[in-house]
Amino acid sequence: MTASGNPTARRPQRDEVVDVLIIGAGPSGSVAAKHLSAAGFSVITLEQGHMPDRDLYPGRRPEWELVSQKRWHPNPNVRDLPRDYPVETSESDINPLMFAGVGGSATLYAGHWTPFTPSDFRVKTLDGIADDWPFTYEELFPFLDQIEHEVGVSGMPGNPAYPPRGNFPTPALPIGKVGRKAASGLDKLGWHWWPGTNAIPSIPYNGLNACVLRGTCMTGCPEGAKSTTDITFWPHAIKNGARLVTGARVRHIEVDDRGLATGAVYIDEHGRERRQKARVVIICANGIGTPRLLLLSASARFPDGLANSSGLVGKRLMMHPFSAVLGVYDEDLESWRGPFGQTIDCYQFYETDEKRGFVRGAKWGAMPTGGPLGAMSFVGTKIFSDREATIEDAWGASLHQVVGRRFGHSIVWGIIGEDLPEETNRVMLDPVVTDSDGIPAPKLQYRNSENTRRLLKFHVDRCVEAVKAAGAIEIVVVHEVRDTGWHLLGTCKMGDDPKTSVVNRWGQSHDVPNLYIFDGSTFPTSAGLNPTATIMSVALRQTKHLAAERRNQEAA
Amino acid sequence: MSTKLDDALRRTFLAIADVLIPEAEGMPMASQVGVGGEILDRMLALRPDLREAFLRGLRAAAGKPPAAAAETLNRDDPAALGAIGLVASAGYYMSAQVRELIGYPGQESRPADPDATPEYVANGMLQQVIDRGPIFKPTPK
Repeated sequence: MTASGNPTARRPQRDEVVDVLIIGAGPSGSVAAKHLSAAGFSVITLEQGHMPDRDLYPGRRPEWELVSQKRWHPNPNVRDLPRDYPVETSESDINPLMFAGVGGSATLYAGHWTPFTPSDFRVKTLDGIADDWPFTYEELFPFLDQIEHEVGVSGMPGNPAYPPRGNFPTPALPIGKVGRKAASGLDKLGWHWWPGTNAIPSIPYNGLNACVLRGTCMTGCPEGAKSTTDITFWPHAIKNGARLVTGARVRHIEVDDRGLATGAVYIDEHGRERRQKARVVIICANGIGTPRLLLLSASARFPDGLANSSGLVGKRLMMHPFSAVLGVYDEDLESWRGPFGQTIDCYQFYETDEKRGFVRGAKWGAMPTGGPLGAMSFVGTKIFSDREATIEDAWGASLHQVVGRRFGHSIVWGIIGEDLPEETNRVMLDPVVTDSDGIPAPKLQYRNSENTRRLLKFHVDRCVEAVKAAGAIEIVVVHEVRDTGWHLLGTCKMGDDPKTSVVNRWGQSHDVPNLYIFDGSTFPTSAGLNPTATIMSVALRQTKHLAAERRNQEAA
Repeated sequence: MSTKLDDALRRTFLAIADVLIPEAEGMPMASQVGVGGEILDRMLALRPDLREAFLRGLRAAAGKPPAAAAETLNRDDPAALGAIGLVASAGYYMSAQVRELIGYPGQESRPADPDATPEYVANGMLQQVIDRGPIFKPTPK
């Protein structure tokens, strides 16, 4: 295949055969669309959601906390909007969180920018479990560095949890009273902490405004200061000639007699079935949406689902089990102030120490707690209160006491534990539930492992020590929070052996050579870190390789 | 069944809201900040998903002593009590009077100076972390 034009080429028309069809306009799909269109490919992206309207984000309005528990909740089953697809979770310990729209689930993320560390790419070598990645931290770093300059990351260089590196494109955001209080406990114990690195610029950058510390990052940023690809990538991609079709829900991918992908069938927002033909198809639909689509694309030639000769499509789902520690302090910490992205983080116990009775580790991120309803809740879910409580315990004078004690005085430590891949944790198609277009919904089977339980228990215990060291007057621990599946990884494993992986080291399907996957579903392991930085870096790496190898690309 | 919120249902709501959010700890009770008026309509308009459980709870509580009705709902229909409590508390904490009392200005814009030297740099706090040295495991050779 050769790219059909140059960056100023005519924008492809809907239904025209294009060089590249991208499915999903989230972080990875946006990277591919921008850079492939810049390289001269004709590109169409199908996105089931719409372009976000910043004016609809509720952060500036007084009802912010109320609507964050429904319309802007990260769980699609809670939001229950027509553009979301439902996920059957009755056999899952964790609810997956996501958002359908240009910018993807990052629309509702906190902007934590925590690249995977060197050991995360070598789990098998270092710990004797799971798998190594087919490339190293050092090989990925140049792509990370470029992505950070496109995203507009803010941060402080010199973090001893990472190899030495250069400056971030914008200075670190203030850590505020919350960050200083959280750091004080870690300092007393001699433990690591570092000012948070966030996908939120501190100065105007690449179409983004500077953060104003409003603290409503997780319901969409009304300032346009949280980096999402609707702002930072799509204006460039569209200028390059890429076409973005929103409200387009892909039903399945089609193949020809040779087993090559020819494009996709999708339902447009008026309910009409359409067909988009392409020479190359790239799926960027997240760790649940991507295997769902491959399983939906089963055919006589691929009876177990497309690209699934390994049998691994949908398996090895990793969602990052998460525990939370709420620390309450006498001092006024103004803990409704932003950014909600981590003020500081702690990697003290990130690496494996076998004496602890488990392998791998977790990152802790210190976050503010929002408004008065946040005294009992975290990101729209009431977790810091007892659901079995009596009226007397949960309401009445107790309510005033709890809000008086916690509001403005609290810090939430979010503990993200590394989730190890297990084939029993998986995505399937539900035989009953469908989305609003009648397409089968995904069903999850997912259980936290013994390693996870031990890991989180250890980290919670250490975190409580740090919270006490900072002088907490009240501590609330919530183990294994259910509504925390922000990170959907691992269900289309990347590797060199077609028998044990779905795609190769460049994201190319072993079975269908013009079908690629660029999202987090390809991750062999999950790290114990928020993955967006690594998802976008890997997507850039794979995109550049696809562009460089265009003349060798087999196409339908 | 009608989903209209008549005066009797509003009175039931206010009575239960005052049980849930009483005058105590220097704070006013729910009815004193007007959660039964326009704020109630606004809350239900913002969260129409709550309306069914909210009305179900109020109808079950109608004519009963509010404290006992709240206890019964908490035991027999926690979703209904949860809807009533969320509508009451969300409206309560949106009240300007309550926000003033708890010192909450709302989620306001407070831009920071990006060029200011962070306190943790100026006071040497971060240098202590740096001085403890690298904590990552390098890529094995």
